[in-house]
Amino acid sequence: MSEAEIKPHAGAVKFTMLLSGLVFVLMMALGLIMRAAQGEFIELDPALFYQILTAHGAGMVGVAGLSGAAIMWYFVGRYVQLSAAMYWAFLGLFLLGVVLILSAIFLGEFGGAWTFLFPLPAIAGGAWEPWAAATFILGYVSIGVGFLLYYLAIGYPVIKRYGGLARALGWHVVFAGADPADGPPPTIIAAAAVTVFNTLGTVVGAAVLVASLVHLLVPGFAVDALLAKNAIYFFGHVFINASIYMAVIAVYEIVPEYTGRPWKSSRPFIIAWSAILLFVMAVYPHHLQQDVVMPGWILVMGQVVSYLNGVPLLAVTAFSLGVYLHGSKARWDLGLSLLVLGVGGWSIGAIPAIIDGMLVVNKVMHNTQWVPGHFHIYLLLGEVAMSFGFMAWLVRKGQASEAGMSTLDKATFGTYLVGAAGFTMVFLISGALSVPRRWAVHLPGWILQDRIGTLFAALVVLSTLALVLKYAVGLGRGQRS
Amino acid sequence: MQTLVLAVTLALMILLAFVFYRVVRATNADRQLGDTNSRRSQLIWVMLAVGLLVTVASLREWPHALASGDAAIQVNATGGQWYWEIDRSELPAGKPIVFNLHTEDVNHGFGVVDSEGRLLFQTQAMPGYVNQVEYVFDTPGDYRVLCMEFCGVGHHDMLDEFTVVAN
Ligand code: HEM
Ligand SMILES: [Cu+2]
Ligand SMILES: [Cu+2]
Repeated sequence: MSEAEIKPHAGAVKFTMLLSGLVFVLMMALGLIMRAAQGEFIELDPALFYQILTAHGAGMVGVAGLSGAAIMWYFVGRYVQLSAAMYWAFLGLFLLGVVLILSAIFLGEFGGAWTFLFPLPAIAGGAWEPWAAATFILGYVSIGVGFLLYYLAIGYPVIKRYGGLARALGWHVVFAGADPADGPPPTIIAAAAVTVFNTLGTVVGAAVLVASLVHLLVPGFAVDALLAKNAIYFFGHVFINASIYMAVIAVYEIVPEYTGRPWKSSRPFIIAWSAILLFVMAVYPHHLQQDVVMPGWILVMGQVVSYLNGVPLLAVTAFSLGVYLHGSKARWDLGLSLLVLGVGGWSIGAIPAIIDGMLVVNKVMHNTQWVPGHFHIYLLLGEVAMSFGFMAWLVRKGQASEAGMSTLDKATFGTYLVGAAGFTMVFLISGALSVPRRWAVHLPGWILQDRIGTLFAALVVLSTLALVLKYAVGLGRGQRS
Repeated sequence: MQTLVLAVTLALMILLAFVFYRVVRATNADRQLGDTNSRRSQLIWVMLAVGLLVTVASLREWPHALASGDAAIQVNATGGQWYWEIDRSELPAGKPIVFNLHTEDVNHGFGVVDSEGRLLFQTQAMPGYVNQVEYVFDTPGDYRVLCMEFCGVGHHDMLDEFTVVAN
């Protein structure tokens, strides 16, 4: 097959992004409901709050993964021929998982949170039946199998085309002194690294899911709670981070259309991605720092790697973006704005995350609202911004070089930025004031913060709705022309 | 502690946001950038050096140390859906106290806040393990226990209290 025939599966990806956009809005509405309930704007039965918390957590993590995966599929499709059938199988399994998860939550009243921390699914204190927990877990398994297929469908052709995994990661440039010009393009290096770590993450997740399932069916089957906790946070951390590392490929591929400067696989770039590959997996113990029975060196590793993780992000991804933009005279439109915002929000959100990764800080910040504070920054202002940037680019009019920003675009962007910044800032402040996370009912002293947070959240929901509408209209126009 | 953490975090976030603002503005710059590779290396070395310093400074004293050995007063606390059981309701000020955390069922989090609601320390309670945490209360008064790990629909109801008395 000649190079010219290799084309991304634009239709499937556009459809997935529409789906993702709609789910983002829907899940944000659930988030708004939770925040309003904490602020006592509305009354919500705690059991329902925790079901919504579960739906929001699982739904958001899932759709972040889905939108990231669609972005990576699109751009890897510029370099290797991918199998459309595999993509539809992935999407089908994903949607089957969604149906199972929603049934478990809203029919079975499962409210064990997206982390299904062992042994909570089986010990619900009467709030849900084992079948509901089992259905939830099977939903995850379906999505997990879908992702394994997805990475197989990406990994195999990439490895074949680029002559092995090591070469796809660019190691011949770093270790064997090959010319960086002979290295694979940035998209391929990123795809290879994500494929490795998220396959491992998913496999570990599958193992603990199966163990949880067996425990549900055969309660005598003992699983070590500490081991299960390690496995769950390894999976959870790797999976949600993979979504951002897949979405950033949109930055590598789209920003050059505006700057006229191709994103290069330089040595720092290749080394950064090898470091990311390692760090993403080694960093998960930052979730276990209040489990003092863990070996001390593992907790130290969690703290140190949390910090090191910030080096490739700031010194390579963000730094290079700055260099590429400098003096490029790029014309700003909604797509470029959101993509650059995505890198900025991701970088800034890493700061409170790194600080919470310190053992001394974690002792007083762990599981306070500081935590949703930092991860909503690099999700809302990171992964989600990049996804909507990609969507805006998909339906842009004309060439990137002649783009521009309408007043409506500016208002949408500004509202989103202010809403998301305010919403996350309130979480950080509440965390510093020792408000615990995941509490359906708040103490009287916390209500004011919750109310301010709710108002900012409403701005986010509104502007996101506008972004989705604009995309849908753009798609419709594209169909007609 | 929390105020300091918040202040440092906000300062760093604002600084980085400002850098991004400058980057966006510089899209239209005419001046060429200097040697970006050496600037990148400088940034990496500075980050590594700062990281090393902070790591050493923050871990020199092990944050989870049970420093006092047998001299400490032992308290057993057990979490269950959805209550705490603490085997002492009055504790002396100024003496090291070791809390031994157990659970009857799922994971819970044992967090202690002072009368102003400020979290002082926490640790997890986990099936099959006993987590130990040591603390010295400086001021007598009422302290509250909050659950800091999601444990089901009664999670937010897991509040308890104890008193610290001068001795
Ligand atoms: C308008 C936008 C959003 C609102 C109002 C919102 C609201 C909330 C609230 C109130 C919580 C629970 C906080 C607590 O623990 O007390 C939460 C948790 C969470 N949110 Fe959001 N959120 C929004 C957007 C997002 C996005 C875009 C993502 C990911 C892409 C996301 C992912 C999560 C996750 C993973 C959790 C943790 C769930 C858990 O603790 O089990 N959220 N959100
Ligand atoms: Cu993590
Ligand atoms: Cu709890």
